[in-house]
Amino acid sequence: MVLLPAIKKLGYNFPSVHRNAERMAHSAIESARMFNLDSVVVPFDMCWESEALGNEISLYEDSEDILYPTIPYKNWTEVDQVEISQDDIDNIMDKYPMNLLPEAVAIVKKEAPDLALGVWQLGPFTQCGQTIELDKVLKAVFKDTARVEDILDKLSDMIINIGKALQAAGADFITLREPGVAADLLSPKTFRELIQPRLTRIMSAWKSPKVLHICGSTDPLVEMMWQIVTDSGGQAVSFDIKNNLLESRKKLGDDAIILGNFDVFGLPCAEETTVEQAIEGIKTNIDGKVDAVWPGCDLWPDIKEANFRAMEKTAREYHGGFKFKTDG
Amino acid sequence: MASKEELLELLKDGVINYKEEQVKEASQQAIDDGHLALEMIMDGLAAGMEVVGDLYERHEYFVPEVLMCADALYGGLAILRPHVPKSDSDTVAQVVIGSIQGDVHDIGKNLVKMMFDVAGWEVYDLGRDVPLEKFVEEQLRTDAEVVAMSAMMTTTMLGMKKVIKMIKDKNPNVAIMLGGAPVTQDVANLFGADGYAESAGNAVQEGIKMIGRLREFEKKKER
Repeated sequence: MVLLPAIKKLGYNFPSVHRNAERMAHSAIESARMFNLDSVVVPFDMCWESEALGNEISLYEDSEDILYPTIPYKNWTEVDQVEISQDDIDNIMDKYPMNLLPEAVAIVKKEAPDLALGVWQLGPFTQCGQTIELDKVLKAVFKDTARVEDILDKLSDMIINIGKALQAAGADFITLREPGVAADLLSPKTFRELIQPRLTRIMSAWKSPKVLHICGSTDPLVEMMWQIVTDSGGQAVSFDIKNNLLESRKKLGDDAIILGNFDVFGLPCAEETTVEQAIEGIKTNIDGKVDAVWPGCDLWPDIKEANFRAMEKTAREYHGGFKFKTDG
Repeated sequence: MASKEELLELLKDGVINYKEEQVKEASQQAIDDGHLALEMIMDGLAAGMEVVGDLYERHEYFVPEVLMCADALYGGLAILRPHVPKSDSDTVAQVVIGSIQGDVHDIGKNLVKMMFDVAGWEVYDLGRDVPLEKFVEEQLRTDAEVVAMSAMMTTTMLGMKKVIKMIKDKNPNVAIMLGGAPVTQDVANLFGADGYAESAGNAVQEGIKMIGRLREFEKKKER
């Protein structure tokens, strides 16, 4: 997670923090230190693996706006063109820019040993959409299921290896993020048949603590998500703002660890949101029975400092206090 | 030789069950048999898409199915549209559409584009990852009545606000339509937009409603 006030203080511009291990590590540490957060999370964008597989990314170096890196054009335009080799799977961490990630993790570990160090990986379906166009993948789920399954299996192997490498480099916790399979995109049936077994396999291969996060509509997936966590020896599920938190708590019971769900733009960033409203938003989140205050999605970097500080304070003090963490 | 009703049913069924080849063949057959292309579009293809909207709303269909239905619809539209006489196909209006800079997601944008295509609008599709100024330039160049923008991520949504201001400063009468997962009605209001569709799915529903309204309009014209 990276916050604009932190990188301003360091004298960095936004595009320069994404492919420089030192700047990324320092931006993440400063973001946590400046706002008294309990954890540091790297990296910041979703293009790393796709870039390592040969796609060019756009860093928007000339833009004055905060724009995260994207992949404007993908080398593979059709599902049947996708070719992920055993070398890609086995040696992904040797390829640029993946080789920068353990370096960044090691810097954070060394310079901020008091902070929990989080890393994350996209799930195989979302990662597939980073290597070829998502609409092609979505259609191929029906038209060429066997091919999609083969690609997802290879990507799962690759994701397992990346997660293990980041844990070996010093990460304290890992989040598997699979926003491309939300119930407003794929049916729960497809999730159960195509996605659930692979997410379970990936998380089972990683050390704990580990969290499963899905953005978007998750109400129909809640039980399956929790089953993935328990089957894989994981610890928690994380939802975004679209989840009905109280219903999810009812479904999963008091023992389940539930994170996320607060509005990552409305509360800390929106121009019209007052400090009082930001505080109320965090109280609502806690009253929704989350186990820790954790953003529902990537925090928008351009926070209003007063709002964000008030949110952190509320998270620590309301009902005796919560830890204030970050997942993106 | 298939009757008009049979061809309409083939088109409708082909869109609903994403049978692209069936739609193409029925479209060609309709042209060869001298049926009215606009009627085939509205009562065949568009009627099928209305059913798709119902299936989506009832959670029987999800985005993959809708995308395949859209492929089938476009297969027929490519054959039928050139045969709509000029007087029937006079452009309803013009729309500039695109995904905002920093956002390479275009599923929702393409579904909304389909809605405008079926409805006979002149569509200026700027694609995705579109620099903010490009929306303004294209609106001024085309004098389009509507500008439709989509953003799939919170991180790109804010660009929309700048575009709206730039466009409204130059031409306050332009209607702005926003779409995408992070966009809410509150955000649309705050940014000064005139309408919004919250997701690709919502865009489908909004699109289907619009197609439905257009079909009613066409029927009234015939009376």
